[in-house]
Amino acid sequence: MKAKRADKIASGVFWALGILTIAILAFIIIEILARGLLTAINPKFFLGKPEAIKGGGGIFPMIVSSLYLAVLAILLSLPLSIGAAIYMAEYAKKGRVNNVIRFCLDSLATLPSIVFGLFGLALFVTYFRWSYCLLAGAFTLAILSLPILLRSTEEAIKLVPDAYREASMSLGASRWTTIRQVVIPSALPGIITATILPIGRIMGESAAIIYTTGLFIRSIPTNPFSTAAPLAGYIWYSQTEAIVPDYRQIVNGGAALLLIIVFAIYFLARWTGNRYQKKKLLGASPK
Amino acid sequence: MGRLGLKDSDYWVKLVMFTCASVAILAILLIFLFIFRESIPAIRQVGVGNLFFSTNWAPNVSKPEAGHYGMLTFIWGTLLTTFGAMVIATPLGIGAAVFLDQIAPDRMARTVRRGIELLAGIPSVVIGWFGLILLVPAIARVTGSSGYGVIAASMVLVVMALPTITTLSAETLKSLPVTLKEASVAMGATRWQTIHKVLLPAAREGLLIAVILGMGRAIGETMAVQMVIGNARAFALSPFSRTSTLTTRIVTDLGEAAGVFRSALFAQALVLLVIAMVLIILIRLVSRRREAW
Repeated sequence: MKAKRADKIASGVFWALGILTIAILAFIIIEILARGLLTAINPKFFLGKPEAIKGGGGIFPMIVSSLYLAVLAILLSLPLSIGAAIYMAEYAKKGRVNNVIRFCLDSLATLPSIVFGLFGLALFVTYFRWSYCLLAGAFTLAILSLPILLRSTEEAIKLVPDAYREASMSLGASRWTTIRQVVIPSALPGIITATILPIGRIMGESAAIIYTTGLFIRSIPTNPFSTAAPLAGYIWYSQTEAIVPDYRQIVNGGAALLLIIVFAIYFLARWTGNRYQKKKLLGASPK
Repeated sequence: MGRLGLKDSDYWVKLVMFTCASVAILAILLIFLFIFRESIPAIRQVGVGNLFFSTNWAPNVSKPEAGHYGMLTFIWGTLLTTFGAMVIATPLGIGAAVFLDQIAPDRMARTVRRGIELLAGIPSVVIGWFGLILLVPAIARVTGSSGYGVIAASMVLVVMALPTITTLSAETLKSLPVTLKEASVAMGATRWQTIHKVLLPAAREGLLIAVILGMGRAIGETMAVQMVIGNARAFALSPFSRTSTLTTRIVTDLGEAAGVFRSALFAQALVLLVIAMVLIILIRLVSRRREAW
């Protein structure tokens, strides 16, 4: 009966490991929220102007920077990703070119964000002389999020049943007409979910933006060439430089706020995805 | 239908889509080109040996060319912290994946899966801050050291690498044919025997890929590690040494670096870039073996 006992022990260990992962998550969430939630939801903090030296500063321009940056980056990356995903899903044949593209996408996905940051610094900030600005950060993040966006978009396109394509083509539609009028509309809800998820990643990104968008501002950035200070980078800056006397409170509040924003985006993406799936199931099942 | 007629419009569309896809190639080439271009002064002036294989890192801010720029200490720091993280994250991640795929009831599995996705989404500055206010004081209390250093960095990296390893391992296990499990159970094997004698060996290549990608995350992580590793220039000899990794040294020094000093930091990014490429090639080799098998 040794095998039976080993089986029981192993089951116990696997349960413990599974629960441990959830415990780590819960521990981090509770700890961050317990320290920062009250600051984060204080209007004086999240609607306030930051202070350079004195205490009592807020972080409103940083929140605006993060949102602005995320929108710009997605605007740059999405058309490219959809085009590339259509190519990879509908046109690409197995072969050398396809292999090279995949290799580059995989490499982009594995590159550390600090490498993207230095690249953005060297190309956009220095070589193009844009200096620190939203657009430099947005281009950097657009390249960083390209493989993530492309993969999820491609998966959404591949989920469209082949029967749809065959039906369209057999009616005499060209490949492009089929893609435009059949494949894209059916994949659209999936593509929307695929677009929301990377926004969380972009808003949490710090290493790629501290050398491209800037670290500290006092007024709200207005145009793409304004210097900005996204929240994640500002949290790091406040902690590392520790200039203002109440920096711990700013970091606590900022971290809690960032966590809430990122989770909200995650649940929004999940919710749109689920709603779409339910609709599809209802539509497909005979009464 | 396009003005150019059916076939022609299709050709142009394909060309446009292909151009979009080639942006990935262009991006990698540009990144390599610009990082390399910025590293040239350091490679020229410091020399390959003194740059990559020396532990003497003594930058000079006001007169950059008078400093020493050997990055071996930080390459070692990266290897050491990553190794420490993988020792914990590999069994934990694969174990959690087995739990997800084989053991957990549906509801539980869904909860854990959601939890891991959320964990993957937590920004690195938040995890770094968590490490700084909780892990560092805890380590300090238990060991009597400052709390900063290799151990704290490795623990933070476990959190960063865990979601990658768990998600990809669970996917691999899920893709195994059910017949494998059924055959094993039909022979009278217990669940544990099935898992460790049939399922895990069959998933070997996929699990290896999951671990390599988790390692990639650990090597590249910057902000979370920078907040807890102590940012010293000392060569780490013990798990409690305060030291730096390639990524954290860049972030710590770039603000004040100019000339060859700045170039030496770009050379560290070049090393990170090469490491990432090597990992991807490794994965290619492993998955080719899987296909052959």
